[in-house]
Amino acid sequence: MNFVLIFLITIFSLSLFFYGRSKTKSISIEKNIKLNALPKFYGYYLVLWCSIPSLVFLLIWTLFEPVIIKSIIIETAANQGAIFNDKNEANLIYEKIKAIYAGTYFGDIDTILKESALSYAKFINLFTNSKIVLIFAIVIASVIYSLKKIKNNNKARDDVEVILKGLLFASSLIAILTTLGIIFSLLFESIKFFSVINIFDYLFGTNWSPQRAFVSDASAITAAEYDELKDAFGFIPLIAGTSFIAFIAMLVAVPIGLFSGIYMAEYASVKIRRISKPIIEILAGIPTVVYGFFAALTVGPFFRQIGENLGLTVSSESALAAGLIMGIMIIPYVSSLSDDVINSVPQSLRDGSYAVGATKSETIKKVVIPAALPGIIGSVLLAVSRAIGETMIVVMAAGLAANLTINPLESTTTITTQIVMILVGDQEFDSPKTQSAFALGLTLFIATLVLNYIAQRAVKKYREKYD
Amino acid sequence: MNEIKIKSKNLNVYYGEKQALFDVNLDLNEKEVTALIGPSGCGKSTFIRCINRMNDVIDICKVSGNIEIDGVEINDKNLDVVSLRERVGMVFQKPNPFPKSIYDNISYGPKIHGKGETKSELDEIVENSLKKAALWEEVKDRLDEPGTGLSGGQQQRLCIARAISVNPEVILMDEPCSALDPIATAKIEELIDELKKTYTIVIVTHSMAQAVRVSQKTGFFHLGKLIEVGKTEKIFKNPDNKMTQDYITGRFG
Repeated sequence: MNFVLIFLITIFSLSLFFYGRSKTKSISIEKNIKLNALPKFYGYYLVLWCSIPSLVFLLIWTLFEPVIIKSIIIETAANQGAIFNDKNEANLIYEKIKAIYAGTYFGDIDTILKESALSYAKFINLFTNSKIVLIFAIVIASVIYSLKKIKNNNKARDDVEVILKGLLFASSLIAILTTLGIIFSLLFESIKFFSVINIFDYLFGTNWSPQRAFVSDASAITAAEYDELKDAFGFIPLIAGTSFIAFIAMLVAVPIGLFSGIYMAEYASVKIRRISKPIIEILAGIPTVVYGFFAALTVGPFFRQIGENLGLTVSSESALAAGLIMGIMIIPYVSSLSDDVINSVPQSLRDGSYAVGATKSETIKKVVIPAALPGIIGSVLLAVSRAIGETMIVVMAAGLAANLTINPLESTTTITTQIVMILVGDQEFDSPKTQSAFALGLTLFIATLVLNYIAQRAVKKYREKYD
Repeated sequence: MNEIKIKSKNLNVYYGEKQALFDVNLDLNEKEVTALIGPSGCGKSTFIRCINRMNDVIDICKVSGNIEIDGVEINDKNLDVVSLRERVGMVFQKPNPFPKSIYDNISYGPKIHGKGETKSELDEIVENSLKKAALWEEVKDRLDEPGTGLSGGQQQRLCIARAISVNPEVILMDEPCSALDPIATAKIEELIDELKKTYTIVIVTHSMAQAVRVSQKTGFFHLGKLIEVGKTEKIFKNPDNKMTQDYITGRFG
């Protein structure tokens, strides 16, 4: 139904474009007046007026229709004697009614359900009809309004600009609101978690084992249960594991990425640059899951083998393997970003250095790199935030047990891995175990947010100096 | 007349396909200021960049012909560019201090050439260079502040001090005042007058008045060719060439 409506509105408004264009042309000839804008702007004006109000109305209607029908149906069902103790049971009954209407319900149908399903059908009908009527009314009203406007030779160009500006603003608003929505949903779930687990027990606890966290009734946790719980959600091992793996990744990515960036920016000829820069950037396009099984199936066992030969115990899921592969994944970020910042160091600084007799490497070491340093630090920080947010590689290669260790040959775990482990499979959504995933998500989000902010500030500060 | 310090013979420069200098033969005298004038793109800057081989930095640039300093050919693949540039300093159009402290800007060159091994030697080089560049009094109390924080004219004198710091014999100046206001320009010109007692100076300038004020010898370039060269007085009062006459009277360029 909605698609038909959207289709009709689109066709109709597009045809209005041609009408508006030729109409205003003929008006200007008939009355011998100068139009305030080119005829095509009057066409745009009609198109926008015809389509936007009706489409916006349709969108809002579609969003709210199910909610309103649901509350009406649940209420009528209750009036007819349906019994439900809480929201979940009410939802269940509503789903049953919907299924009966759709003809996909195969359970027993009692009179209450039957009556409700009939009234559901009635309401659906009513809502659909009134939707169509209202949309037609809106289209007609807005077309009449806009036609009247263009007949009066309005300033269509300015009006179209205003409408387009509004559209663009609405798009950016949606982007921002979505982000805020995500933040708030994280926040609310985390608050639920922290209302059970003390935030200090979480932040400073040294033991992470959420699989132990069984509670008989999430709404009434006893003191004995809490003693058990607070030991299960210690954040320290996770942040330690995350930082440790990110650190190993940085040990790989920063030198290699930086040096390759320097080579690209300072030494590579145009020809080499044209070939090799895309190749390095292809590394950034490889799906992380591919890196993941490379780490888990090739590098991990390889290290284990070497370790055995040397007489060391190496876990096949080691921090070293995960960090190494993650570092390789991050190389192109560091390389590409540092290439950019080095390139934007003005040539005049290099000339100044050459002119006193410095060689190329002296110039790079003592003038170019110091001048580009804030930007390079920024790119490294961005890479760090990429590393701590990386999920797939560590899920596959870093292991699950939250060991508090600094031995790179042992397995360790990260924040992202634990979020995945907690949310995979069947979950009760009100248990502290599940909610802890949101707390972890929030913590991770804050960490990357802070890093990105610092990185952007550093890059910006640097840009201001030379542009 | 002073002795000849730099001598170019049949100097040709190409940027890729395009020829930028055609058979330039120009002698520059020791401890004298030579001004190079001419319309934009005429090859003046290209010429002085040959003297310290700065054109090496540009991949597509090819230089043929000879340039001798004190009778030694410098346009030679085997010549050590580092020691050439130690002898021939350069100041650029736009002041380009390094984003380092004033002190580090000056000590950069000496450190590279292994001069000033102790801190006090280095301090002395910095102080002398800044004094010669007439900047010492203005910055002596804030040597650790960034060089980029100075005013445009001060930055340019800082760059001159940086060029002086390695104790060169020749200083090349590529439109050193084009980014500066008249007062800063006057200071630099005063400084050039002072510096010519010690150094051989080649200055590229777009300002005819400046050429008259600072130089003893002037060369006029047009479309990559050296049209006329002679005593500054003569070039500006009584040039031999019609084109020179037209240029200095502002009829083109």
